[in-house]
Amino acid sequence: MVTPPIYRPPPGRSGRRLRSAMMRPSDGPTGSETDGLFAVGRATPLGVYLRDLWRRRDYLLRVPVEDLRVQHAHTLLGNLWLLLNPILQVAVYLLVFGVLIELDRGVEDYLAFLTIGVFVFHQAQRTVSAGARSVVANVGLIRALRFPRAALPVGSAIGQLLSFTPVLVVMLSVTVAHGYAPGLRWLTLPGLLFALTAFGLGAGLAAARANHTYRDLENLLPFLFRLLFYLSGVLYSVEHFVDDDVLRSLFALDPLYCLITAWRWALLGTEASGLVWAGTIGWPVITLVGGFSAFRSREATYGSGA
Amino acid sequence: MNARARPLAVRCTDVEVRYTIRSHRPLLRDLLRGNPPDITTVHAVRGVTLDVAVGESIGVVGPNGSGKTTLLQAMTGVLPLAGGELLVRSLPTFLGVKAALRPRMTGRANIRIGLLAQGLTRDEAEAQLPAVADFTDLGPAVDLPMETYSSGMRARLHFAIATALTPEILLVDEALAVGDRTFREKSARRLAEHRAAAGTVLLVSHNLGEIRRSCERTVWLHEGHIVADGPTEEVLRAYEA
Repeated sequence: MVTPPIYRPPPGRSGRRLRSAMMRPSDGPTGSETDGLFAVGRATPLGVYLRDLWRRRDYLLRVPVEDLRVQHAHTLLGNLWLLLNPILQVAVYLLVFGVLIELDRGVEDYLAFLTIGVFVFHQAQRTVSAGARSVVANVGLIRALRFPRAALPVGSAIGQLLSFTPVLVVMLSVTVAHGYAPGLRWLTLPGLLFALTAFGLGAGLAAARANHTYRDLENLLPFLFRLLFYLSGVLYSVEHFVDDDVLRSLFALDPLYCLITAWRWALLGTEASGLVWAGTIGWPVITLVGGFSAFRSREATYGSGA
Repeated sequence: MNARARPLAVRCTDVEVRYTIRSHRPLLRDLLRGNPPDITTVHAVRGVTLDVAVGESIGVVGPNGSGKTTLLQAMTGVLPLAGGELLVRSLPTFLGVKAALRPRMTGRANIRIGLLAQGLTRDEAEAQLPAVADFTDLGPAVDLPMETYSSGMRARLHFAIATALTPEILLVDEALAVGDRTFREKSARRLAEHRAAAGTVLLVSHNLGEIRRSCERTVWLHEGHIVADGPTEEVLRAYEA
């Protein structure tokens, strides 16, 4: 057992001198030695924060690309799985709803209708869930390197967007195969893709912050999404089943219903009300702004393992 | 040389860092029973006052759990302070054995990502890449997935990435303890070059020989306090006693 010797103050410094140096920073050599120092852990102004984030755009793109590249590294078919997954999913629906059960729930071209609903919904779910995990899963990186923490949810959202590309190809193939030729409405697809990602990122940022404090969220999210799955008209047409106007407008409170309906409008030529459009544009903006400020307000704490 | 004549790289004033650790008992059970929640607060750093001048190389010694790593991590701004003030000239780079790298990716891909994460552009990172890969001495293994590496190889990769950008202030936590003798010498040489270029180094190590070789000044931490701070030989003699 070591007996610590008596504390010796560090050479050439006492608390009193520091205080006077801080009150008069230009006071001779004492003041000049702290010139150019700044406090660590202080909150970065929004502009600087966003600039830092922008400076790491190469990093934000590279990480998901490399992740995608190695994701199926241990499989026989490798990255063919990115394309095979959505194809197999559609094949299952074709088998179940086209061959086994004659069910269209009053919708024309049910397979195309269903494919769009399921793929758009799952894309949102995946983006939010990946965002929620992005902070707690990267505590090691957070402790080792200094960077704007929002880079983690943003990077995971970009990764989800990249892996959506083959899914999108399958989705478009299914609608074209059903006789819906590409039309003018396809021009809205980049915007709809942006809205879908922005909503997923915004909700993901908020979820990442909440998940850091209460890990319970990770267990709750699947059930929340399961509930939304049935409420968002993924499997059925809300317009067909709900007659009441007031009730129907309540569906616009569900961002996923708005997004799915807008995607179907673009690809299948179905109707989309003004409220749906308000939701499609409004919800991504609201979640992105709200999620980002919620995330940033706890920026300094993400390194401390809760 | 008189340390006070040089500008400061780091100034710690009564720095305190606390960790809260939640046990495995769910919080809700305590709330329902009216028990105090089972949260342990570890007061890892309890009022450390320390000035580090530019170009200084300081050893940090102390038993396990004395707050050495926590103090260094606080200097990078990744841990919130519970009290005091911590000023730095530039944000230090922390180099620890817990490699935050991606196991499925190759060594080369990890270098690229590590350089980009530190704020390099794609072109700058590509330009630096060969030199960093070369420094790791991994040879052809640099193109194998990192999960196939031994701990020594991993440490070399991590050291090479973290020192590639020659940060002004470098915090080294036991990172040199792993790796073979050739690499230890090589990394010690890089640290010496770094100091020669007016870089500042804080080195946490249980290897006192290493501290004697690389540091003119040493700080001894015990239970979150500084118990001694002075010329390496003097402090280590007391520490070893």
